[in-house]
Amino acid sequence: MAGQLPPPPPPQWVLDLTSTTTPSKPKSGSIPDPPGFTSTTALTTKQSKSSSKAITPRKQPSPDEMDTLKLKKAWELALAPAKQLPMNAIGMYMSGNSLQIFSIMMVFMLFKGPITAVLNIQSTFQRLETETNRTQMLGVKAAFVGCNLLALALGLWKVNGMGLLPTTRSDWLAWETAREPLERAYYVPS
Amino acid sequence: MLLPLLSAATLLLTPSLAVFQDEAFHIDYHFALLGAPKESTTFFHQPNPASKASLIYTLSEEGALGAVNPRDGSLVWRQLLQGQHQSNASFLRAGEGQDLVVSGSLNQVAAWSAEDGRLAWRTATDGVLRDVEILELSDGKEMVGAKDAVALSGSHGAQSSVVRLDGATGAVKWTYEFDGSDEAYQVSASSTHIYAILLHKTLLGYLRIRVVSLDPVTGKKIDEYMLSSENELATADTIVSVGANSASPIIAWTDAAHSTLKVNVVGSKAISSFTIDQHAGETVARVQVHAPYHINSLSHFLVHYETATSHWADVFHVDVNNGKVTKAYSLPKLAGKGAFSTSTSDANVYFTRITRDELSTVSSASHGILGRWPVTSFGVVSGIGEVIEPVHAVSEVSVKGDAVSAIRTVVLLSTGDWILLRGGTATWNRPEILASTVAATFAMPAEVEAFAERLQAEASSNPVSAYVQRLTRHIAELKDLPALLVSFPQRVVNGFLGTSEDDLASDNFGFHQIITCATRNGRMLALDAGNPNRILWNRQVADLKKEQAWNPRLASSKGGEVTINSQAGTGFRYNISNGEQLVSILPVDVEGDAKAAREVRFTMTDSALDATVDSKPAWHFSPASGQTIHSLVPRPVNDPVASIGKVLGDRRVLYKYLDPNLALLVTKSSLTLGPSNTATFYVLNTVSGAILHASTHNDIDLTSPIATLISENWLAYSFTSAASATAPKGQQLVIGELFESLVPNDRGPLTGNQNYSSTISTPEPYTLTHTYQIPEAISKLAVTRTKQGITSRQLLALLPDSGAIVGIPYNALNPRRPVGRDATKDEQAEGLLRYNPVLEFDPKWLLSHQREVLGLEEVVTSPALIESTSLVFAWGLDVFGTKISPSFSFDILGRDFNKFQMLGTVAALGVLTFVVAPLVTRKQVDQRWKFL
Repeated sequence: MAGQLPPPPPPQWVLDLTSTTTPSKPKSGSIPDPPGFTSTTALTTKQSKSSSKAITPRKQPSPDEMDTLKLKKAWELALAPAKQLPMNAIGMYMSGNSLQIFSIMMVFMLFKGPITAVLNIQSTFQRLETETNRTQMLGVKAAFVGCNLLALALGLWKVNGMGLLPTTRSDWLAWETAREPLERAYYVPS
Repeated sequence: MLLPLLSAATLLLTPSLAVFQDEAFHIDYHFALLGAPKESTTFFHQPNPASKASLIYTLSEEGALGAVNPRDGSLVWRQLLQGQHQSNASFLRAGEGQDLVVSGSLNQVAAWSAEDGRLAWRTATDGVLRDVEILELSDGKEMVGAKDAVALSGSHGAQSSVVRLDGATGAVKWTYEFDGSDEAYQVSASSTHIYAILLHKTLLGYLRIRVVSLDPVTGKKIDEYMLSSENELATADTIVSVGANSASPIIAWTDAAHSTLKVNVVGSKAISSFTIDQHAGETVARVQVHAPYHINSLSHFLVHYETATSHWADVFHVDVNNGKVTKAYSLPKLAGKGAFSTSTSDANVYFTRITRDELSTVSSASHGILGRWPVTSFGVVSGIGEVIEPVHAVSEVSVKGDAVSAIRTVVLLSTGDWILLRGGTATWNRPEILASTVAATFAMPAEVEAFAERLQAEASSNPVSAYVQRLTRHIAELKDLPALLVSFPQRVVNGFLGTSEDDLASDNFGFHQIITCATRNGRMLALDAGNPNRILWNRQVADLKKEQAWNPRLASSKGGEVTINSQAGTGFRYNISNGEQLVSILPVDVEGDAKAAREVRFTMTDSALDATVDSKPAWHFSPASGQTIHSLVPRPVNDPVASIGKVLGDRRVLYKYLDPNLALLVTKSSLTLGPSNTATFYVLNTVSGAILHASTHNDIDLTSPIATLISENWLAYSFTSAASATAPKGQQLVIGELFESLVPNDRGPLTGNQNYSSTISTPEPYTLTHTYQIPEAISKLAVTRTKQGITSRQLLALLPDSGAIVGIPYNALNPRRPVGRDATKDEQAEGLLRYNPVLEFDPKWLLSHQREVLGLEEVVTSPALIESTSLVFAWGLDVFGTKISPSFSFDILGRDFNKFQMLGTVAALGVLTFVVAPLVTRKQVDQRWKFL
């Protein structure tokens, strides 16, 4: 037992707790902040110090900028259905071609979404439409309709896969009539 | 769009089950029949000598031998003797105290265990059997074991012979051959002699009775003599009776005019002659002798005289010592027909007389009546105004002191019913007349058809007028409301217990169709297919002479009527619900729907088919040389087809070759010609006479039945191929389907032409066939029929060897089953499986399931009002009927539907709603008051 090891340095969290480098004055008078609590004011001051730039109050965008922004937003809205397409396609593929309540409901939703979206196209883009960007908005709307049509096409593909589209001869068989013979033969037992 | 969807749905359901367990014995019915019993072969007999319980044994006119339990009329056992011909004489005897019954028919003598009907032995004789008797010897030493049988046989013109057969083994003990070519008539055994009675034909064509007495032990001739004078007997018909196996057997005969009765006690040469009283100028039509059949009973007998309107009887006594016959007393003359039966108790003999309204028993010794029972009703139905008469009867009497304590009588009635009277009350009846059914058809009651037509009208008119029609119909039905309300609780109970026997008028499903059957003896009767245990009516429709064939054909042209065409006359119409004959005002056109189409009529003569148009010859078909026509089946007139094409797995269409003028013709080589037996099957266009398809099969067993069928666009036939060097004997079922074209989506050369004439151009069909090896012969083929033809089809086949009727799903036979490869995905979607040449009958296909249905000959089907169901009725000896749903009952709730569970669920939900409702209200109110 000759020499004692020197005591280990205190761990970081102890240092953090005990450090009083940024003593913040507590918000509410007498109650001190809990140890390790860094007040937001201290942080902002730090940041502001590092960026060394004063925040200027946000200035109102000009009408041109506003139009651009609105157009941008409108494009986002218009392309949203297209973004859902891959997921829908996977869902449709997964649900199978059999006529079951689940797949029928999925197909129904698939049809309902695009159709209602197309019907509500005016209200969707009303907020973003201004007098000046009307012409550009037409393109956006066309894109929106196109995307929804894509979704519809997906639905059609699915319905076709389920065999619900009357595309084959057998679907029209009921409307074909048998030929009527002009003669009728009867057996007369002798 | 509805039709193809529905048909697609029905296609998806591959019918694997024909009969469900819970439906067996409920939807099907079966009369296990024997046929009309013959008087001489019907008797009570104890199957077990130790017990007193007896059964009724009979050998019927249909050649069925069986035992019936006298308690309830159920069949104990039954055997079909070979040679089901009514013209052949057949015999059934049972020795006293024996557990065997001995039958004889054609040239077969057979002994059957009386208890269970198992064959004990069978022996063939040289000629056709004329009589069979049991030897009741009184010498004691022969009595041990089974009693021997004596058989008399002789073909026409050949030597007759008597053989004695060992009772236990059937071995021949001795044979005696008669000299000369006298026709053997009957054999009779007393305790010491065997008497053979032969008919000797004199030069003038009259008959003389020749009696030969033989020694029963050695079979040597003891004596021989001739009876009757030179010109008394013209035919054997006037020989009334040759009593057998009694203490003193007698021979009785009359002259042709039934004016004198001559009686001879066999063994003595003396003939007693009695004049027959001619009552009030009525001629005696029939004379019968009833004598006891026991060797140690009193030798008394009864002679039964019958005129057209009345009957009476005389009782005679025979003095055993000197063979003198004396008249003891008479039974009074009564109006109508009567039947007499003889029963014995120890040595005493009792005669029972059955008339229209009374049963009475007298002792043979005196005319005092020992028992009398009024018969109020025989418990059977008859035609309107018809009086039911007894035809013949057999009784079992038990006597205590001087009175009859109990009497059981089985009576065959003129309606063809076989009933048992216990005392004077009818206990059971067996409708044996159904065993002689020769034609049958389904008919819809008028009310049901009217209802169906109204529904049809509602379905086909525009929605508004259909609604108005329905409303008016419902308002009109309101007048039945009080009656409905009264019967409602009962109906609910019945519905739950499954015992509903709703009447004919309120049959919304068309299950209660009326089956009218015409029988061989000129009667017609009606059954309700939904409630078959009751015969609706039973009447004489044709006055036939004995053995006269009348070949009736029944058809129901419109609701509530059936038309009968026969050799006796055509176009007789009857009301199917009560059997009343309808006065024919208009000549009935059987085919009905002539529309504007030109009519071609074709008939089959012996060796050719001839067709005429407007009474000018149109075409002529004669088979190839050495061939004769076996059968011809035209496509049914009423054969609805739901879809004109077959939808393939990839939803393309294969068009069916649909032509109403198709017929399947079978020609076969005439048996006398050549060693190679061939049969050719032709599909003909019956308008132009063109052969659309032909196939020839070699080495066919032509003695086996060939069953044929054509329906829709397909045909089926079945035959037995004879054994050859390369192949064993086997049964084959061939199925062929006709298509417009084998290319999908192609309608053939005529495309969609609305009208076409077969005489101008007959496009030939493309035929696909498959042959299947089947385990047993099919005697008759039929197909299920439904209202619109949407339901998939089942081929109904009668299997005579196993006594069954089988329903083969069409898909199992489909000629489009791929050969030599597995089915592709598209083919699997159609339900096609790889072709397998051996077709086993799945036990589940058996419509008759556990029942043994013997002797079926014909089967008819009829559509019910609902699409899923087809009614089936098969007849022959037995009668069997059922209703089948080849694609399952998709439009009606089955028996497995649990009404209790459904109502229980509804009730539980209702209770739950009431219990939960206050809780929910409270919770909602609480929620409103809660601050957030």
